[in-house]
Amino acid sequence: MQLSEEQVLALAPDESSRKSGKELSSPGKWVSKGVNELALWGECQGSGSKPYQTQVDLANIAFKCSCPSRKFPCKHGVGLLLLYARAKSEFTSHDMPAWVSEWIGKRSEKQEKQVEKKDKPVDEAAQAKRRQAREQKVSDGIEELLQWIKDIIRNGIISIPEKGSAWFENMSRRMVDAQASGLAGMIRTLSEINFYRDGWQTEFIDQLLRLYIIATGFKNNETLPTLLQQDIRTWIGFTQNQEELKEQTGVTDTWLVLGKQVTEEENLTIERNWLYGINSNQYALVLQFLIRGQGAQVALTPGLFIQAELVFYPSVSPLRAIVKKQLNTEKVQQYKGFANWQQVAEAETDQASILPFRNERPFIIEQVCPVFYNQQWWLQDSNNALMNIKGGFKNIWKLLSLSGGEALNMAVVGKETAYEPFGVWYQNEYRIL
Amino acid sequence: MQTWDQIINTALLGTDKRTLAANELPAELAAAVELIQKSTTDKEDQFLQIAALAFNYRQCGMLPLQKEGVTISKAAIEEKPYCSPWALQTVNDILESESNSLLQFWLQLCAAKNQVVTPELVPALLTIGTQQKKLQNLVVACCGKRGDWLSKFNPEWNFSTATTQEELWETGSAEQRKAVLEQLRKDDPAKARTWLQQTWAQEDAGTKVEWLMLMDINIGEDDIEFLESLAKEKSKKVKDVALWLLKQIPESPIVHQYQQVLQKTVTIGKKGLQIKLPAGLDENLFKTTGLDKLSNSKDFTDEEFIIFQMMQAVPPAFWETRLNSEPDIIIRSMQKDPIGKKLMPALVQAVVAFKDQQWATAFMQNSQVFYIDIIPLLPVKEQEFYSIKFMDQFSENIIEHAIKREDTWSLDLTRAIFIKTAKSVYQYNRSFYSRYIHCIPIGIVTELEKCAPAEDYLKNTWYNTSEYITTLINLKKQTIQSFND
Repeated sequence: MQLSEEQVLALAPDESSRKSGKELSSPGKWVSKGVNELALWGECQGSGSKPYQTQVDLANIAFKCSCPSRKFPCKHGVGLLLLYARAKSEFTSHDMPAWVSEWIGKRSEKQEKQVEKKDKPVDEAAQAKRRQAREQKVSDGIEELLQWIKDIIRNGIISIPEKGSAWFENMSRRMVDAQASGLAGMIRTLSEINFYRDGWQTEFIDQLLRLYIIATGFKNNETLPTLLQQDIRTWIGFTQNQEELKEQTGVTDTWLVLGKQVTEEENLTIERNWLYGINSNQYALVLQFLIRGQGAQVALTPGLFIQAELVFYPSVSPLRAIVKKQLNTEKVQQYKGFANWQQVAEAETDQASILPFRNERPFIIEQVCPVFYNQQWWLQDSNNALMNIKGGFKNIWKLLSLSGGEALNMAVVGKETAYEPFGVWYQNEYRIL
Repeated sequence: MQTWDQIINTALLGTDKRTLAANELPAELAAAVELIQKSTTDKEDQFLQIAALAFNYRQCGMLPLQKEGVTISKAAIEEKPYCSPWALQTVNDILESESNSLLQFWLQLCAAKNQVVTPELVPALLTIGTQQKKLQNLVVACCGKRGDWLSKFNPEWNFSTATTQEELWETGSAEQRKAVLEQLRKDDPAKARTWLQQTWAQEDAGTKVEWLMLMDINIGEDDIEFLESLAKEKSKKVKDVALWLLKQIPESPIVHQYQQVLQKTVTIGKKGLQIKLPAGLDENLFKTTGLDKLSNSKDFTDEEFIIFQMMQAVPPAFWETRLNSEPDIIIRSMQKDPIGKKLMPALVQAVVAFKDQQWATAFMQNSQVFYIDIIPLLPVKEQEFYSIKFMDQFSENIIEHAIKREDTWSLDLTRAIFIKTAKSVYQYNRSFYSRYIHCIPIGIVTELEKCAPAEDYLKNTWYNTSEYITTLINLKKQTIQSFND
């Protein structure tokens, strides 16, 4: 497996591991180091008398180390992989020592068992039964949710800020029980609204209405077009079988990685990669869920062009996609963006009319300039139309410095009245902010 | 949007207390609303469905704000060339290493090459400038026109807007003005004095003292008139500093007065050094030159103490004429003499005050006592020679002096220092090496192992520290190379 430095660092559980890992990535730290097609291993001289034995399963990225750290992977694992990414020639030994082969052997045994399980014939009747049971559970949950929403509306939202997060958490848990994890997440978002901020009422009602639309949409499923049904099911939390998805023919194009948003939830890192297809003129969102210690399936470095086949999730307004095949990386620099905010607004209207509960979308907009007006930063297009830059945007100074008061072509993500810039074309080169 | 306000109002109060009236909704929605009202009688469902309709109506009709006349100034075109991509990569690595000393080193090279950074890096450097005041001028120089322009939008960065020394002196912060004065005193002492005199009357006593201390740099005969005029100052501290400075100028009247007295006071004969103050010493001498009459130490008589003070303020060369001898011989004979021994420290202070290199060397060669204050007066080679020689006894003082240097240490001195610092891991931790990386020569990287302490428990720490030093040195090397290409 070829991991770049950046990818290795992304595996580290926190900033301090990243730093310590970097420090351990020099050959001098390692008493022994070896690699073959199955594993990467090394012995690192720590503060103890015996060196720590660090090993990485390369076929299915996993770590093991004899150090007492509870972090996963520990700094030794990160350091060893980093060293490998930087100086492969340092790894001269290719025969696994006993402590490595033992562990690797155990792991492959386990995997074989898993494959056996997968290969067992599917009991279709049982599967259908399970599916039906889940539909019923979700339906019951949705009835409860609708009742909850109606109660809120009947009593008025004026008292909502006093409810506290536990009140929302209860309902959210109820949705988890009903196997509607998407709805559970949406309810959690409700509780995360800052009730001290002006305009919380609109934020709250917007989200409540989204929930209502999805819930009633599910109830009236049969009257809706198939694709919209799919959208609703996705939002509720029915998962799409990725293997099935991968069997479909996708869109092969040169994709520019416009940006990457990374959020962390407990042990899960969620990577939202925004892509733009040069020829298809299509935007895509590739989500990756990384559990600590596991490598990313695809490496999408912002600013790079990749040749890839993407399969979109079924939707009336396709956006989310998976990478079916990534062919190679190349440097192309042609693209076509929206000419002004009016065009973006029209595209937004088109999207909202078919999918009212949609999320933010990316846009490339040409020739916009950051300006300061009314105590906030805006993006001004060539027609003097202004669009708000999303509150809390951290890279305003970098954006401003790159612009120098001149208009730039820009990639933004957002909806309605606020957008967050991701990258700009500066001297014909795409720069991440 | 009015409709939306009505929806929010209804939601706030609850459908139990308020219902949406048909006339509160836009005419375009009338038909759809009618359908909703027909399909359900449930008040909450009706409200939620109408609100959902209005929600999407709002989303679909959202337009940007059309506003004429909102403009932003344009940044001036950069006059200096951008530094190379390699140099930019290096500074990025340096920023990640968080070593301000390396950053300073990089900025100095960039400024010396008359180059600027690309706009991407400007905000990061300006931000560092807000925290690292001594880097501010370099940051301004390396951020070029884009930095000037950008700093107008962020009040924290306003240090960047004034660029010339004169502008900084007139409009800068106290810190910046001090830096300007210090630099100017090095480059053009007379101009620095003139600038100081121009604003002198407006400054408070504290500032005056601070600035006056900088006159120590390149002090000379031309400063006498100004310094003497300060005898009328109200603040005692200001007067004291002025006197202290006057006592460092060989041509100043105070120094002459002292010389005249000492001429009659000190004699040398068969019995060794003899001292006797002339009778009827002018009272004014005590009043106007800040001389103390009474000894503050039981080892000195009042007479000895007065002579001691005067000796501090007389150029050492005076003794060569007075005693008709050479520095080496004077030092050696004073060491043997009981009174001479007492007065030695005064002579050392005179050597330091008048920065007399010849005497400094003589002291190093003949004195049985090591005077650390003399080290800076020696030529660099000798400084290093004696620093290494006395490292074992006076390591702390010697290192303290070495880190004040702006230039690079020799390999030998560096090795000697590292052998010491490697043993005191708490006193000289990583930040020590990071802070003084500009002094550390690149060549030491291959000798780090030789500096390792003998003790096992220290060896490991030094091993880790060496790794860190190597990283810093590599960055330093990269910086030099990236500006040479």
